[in-house]
Amino acid sequence: MASLWTLQLHAASLPRCYSSTHLEFRAEVGGFCSGFRKWNRNKFVDGKFVLRALSDPWNVDEEHKRIDDQNEVIIKANVARGVKSQNPLIKLQHTVASLPPVIFLKKKHFSISFAAGLCAVAMLLIVVLRSYLARKSRNSRPGSVADLVRRGQLRSDRRGISTPLKYEDPFNNPMVKVGKSNSTVEMCGKLYRLAPVTLTKEQQAIHQKRRSHAYQWKRPKVFLKEGDSVPSDVDPDTVRWIPANHPFATTASDIDEDLAQHNVYQKHGVPFRIQAEHEALQRKLESLQNEQKLGKLVIDHGAAKDFERPFKSHLKSEDQVEQSSSNSQMSPKHTNSDSAQNSYLNRPASDEMQKP
Amino acid sequence: MMISLQPLTNPKPSTLNPHNPFYFPSHRPKTLKTPLLKPFFPIQSVLQYNRKPQLAGETPRVVVITSGKGGVGKTTTTANVGLSLARLGFSVVAIDADVGLRNLDLLLGLENRVNYTVVEVLNGDCRLDQALVRDKRWSNFELLCISKPRSKLPLGFGGKALIWVVEALKDRQEGPPDFILIDCPAGIDAGFITAITPANEAVLVTTPDITSLRDADRVTGLLECDGIRDIKMIVNRVRTDMIKGEDMMSVLDVQEMLGLALLGVIPEDSEVIRSTNRGYPLVLNKPPTLAGLAFEQAAWRLVEQDSMQAVMVEEEPKKRGWFSFFGG
Repeated sequence: MASLWTLQLHAASLPRCYSSTHLEFRAEVGGFCSGFRKWNRNKFVDGKFVLRALSDPWNVDEEHKRIDDQNEVIIKANVARGVKSQNPLIKLQHTVASLPPVIFLKKKHFSISFAAGLCAVAMLLIVVLRSYLARKSRNSRPGSVADLVRRGQLRSDRRGISTPLKYEDPFNNPMVKVGKSNSTVEMCGKLYRLAPVTLTKEQQAIHQKRRSHAYQWKRPKVFLKEGDSVPSDVDPDTVRWIPANHPFATTASDIDEDLAQHNVYQKHGVPFRIQAEHEALQRKLESLQNEQKLGKLVIDHGAAKDFERPFKSHLKSEDQVEQSSSNSQMSPKHTNSDSAQNSYLNRPASDEMQKP
Repeated sequence: MMISLQPLTNPKPSTLNPHNPFYFPSHRPKTLKTPLLKPFFPIQSVLQYNRKPQLAGETPRVVVITSGKGGVGKTTTTANVGLSLARLGFSVVAIDADVGLRNLDLLLGLENRVNYTVVEVLNGDCRLDQALVRDKRWSNFELLCISKPRSKLPLGFGGKALIWVVEALKDRQEGPPDFILIDCPAGIDAGFITAITPANEAVLVTTPDITSLRDADRVTGLLECDGIRDIKMIVNRVRTDMIKGEDMMSVLDVQEMLGLALLGVIPEDSEVIRSTNRGYPLVLNKPPTLAGLAFEQAAWRLVEQDSMQAVMVEEEPKKRGWFSFFGG
């Protein structure tokens, strides 16, 4: 209904020079029935311009029109219903008619382009809004993948990669292409040069032999914790000693929660396990020291020096360095160069001494 | 898809081309269409659906993946090779023998599904099939963890227990798996000895640096002392640009030092870290990445008990076209 009013008012504002076709067009735009269009044209042929304020377009035939020669718009609306709404309408039309024609013309031109622009903007806005709403509704669709991702049921980063790859052969597929001369290969868009492998069976055998010499190893048959005694029927080389601080040893189930709670051996805030470890280490250290003493008793010193020469000399030179450092601490006159010289001088002597 | 195309499978195992010393062409599958289309000009890249690697050796093949040094990519290799094998249609059980510091479940994204472990099986709290975690992406891949983190591990769990687990896997109702991959812990302690006990073959993972190489050599020596003769190596985190600038040992240098057959060369790839963080192994990535392809190739060679005959040494600049001047 509102559009009808607008159209009618616009038609009223048109000057006389407007062609009938224009009017007809406008009438068509209004979407009226053909009878109304005909009526419009007929009225214009007479050289009169009529503005009609209609509340109901379907009652056109029932209405009567009056046109005066002074181009004054006479409005007579015969509306069956809504008598109260007539007065403001007439007022409105009067005000429109009273507007100066030039300004009105200008306004008309402006309004056409403005309306076109407005339509375009509105259409754009609608498109954007619709797409936004569509996207929003797609995301919020319950049970969809996006919904599952949002609820944490599905991992979003796995989407799109769960389908199997289209090829089965990793050597011959669109991502891997071997060059015609077999000297290049293209993988993932990068071209690589190929070099032949030169390892022979003989070389492999040589390496195996080298390793078998270098790493004398027997598979451990028995795993013992520190403190355990070696069974008599077991080869000592096949015993693997698990250190007390090894996770396997510390998580051993011989210390359970009950024992931890009622640990009578815990004294002065030292946990039993740590104390036990300490004692075990102490025992081991002592036993090692005893073994060394025994070894020293047995092994001839002269023969031992042959094997331990570099080790011993290294120790000695360290001693020398320590001595020199202590000397330098005690007497600042000794410089580093002196100590270095000392060690340098001492080294041949020690070497000579160690030589048989 | 692969199973449905099995009738097309070429029954012959791949044979080496006598004119070609390199590895890649040796695996060029014999498609049915290739001879029809161009009999004298081999097509270099065609989509292959009709070939599956020929499984060599006795099943189940018990493979331990070890390195000696930590952080070189044992677990990553286990996850990616294992899933590649599963993709190729083989049934795989991956055992995370890294008892104290297990990570394989994280890499596979199965951390929330580990309810039972081998320790519970040994204690009689559950059955073995309950402890096997089946991957939903590839249902012929299963994960088996030894113990839960932070749980007390009895000292009794050793090589014998792992041998029992392998035997139980062989005897289960569904039939033995084709591959049992054992992810070995770092070091050469009791965990290492336990992990290598049931293995028949080993994959040694190393990086091209001297620390890793020394440990790898030692571990190889221990494996050979223990009677594992079939040892192949994967050189991980290779950077061809650094090798070209002589800042990194080349793969051939590594091979010369260790004297082991090459199972694969994995280039350094930032996708590895991303896939680790996501719990989605690299080989399932789409589009495939460089490292993922290399892992797949390594898995293929593992199946066929093959080794690399040629390695990628450096990156060549791509040939520019006529319109390269214009940015084409």
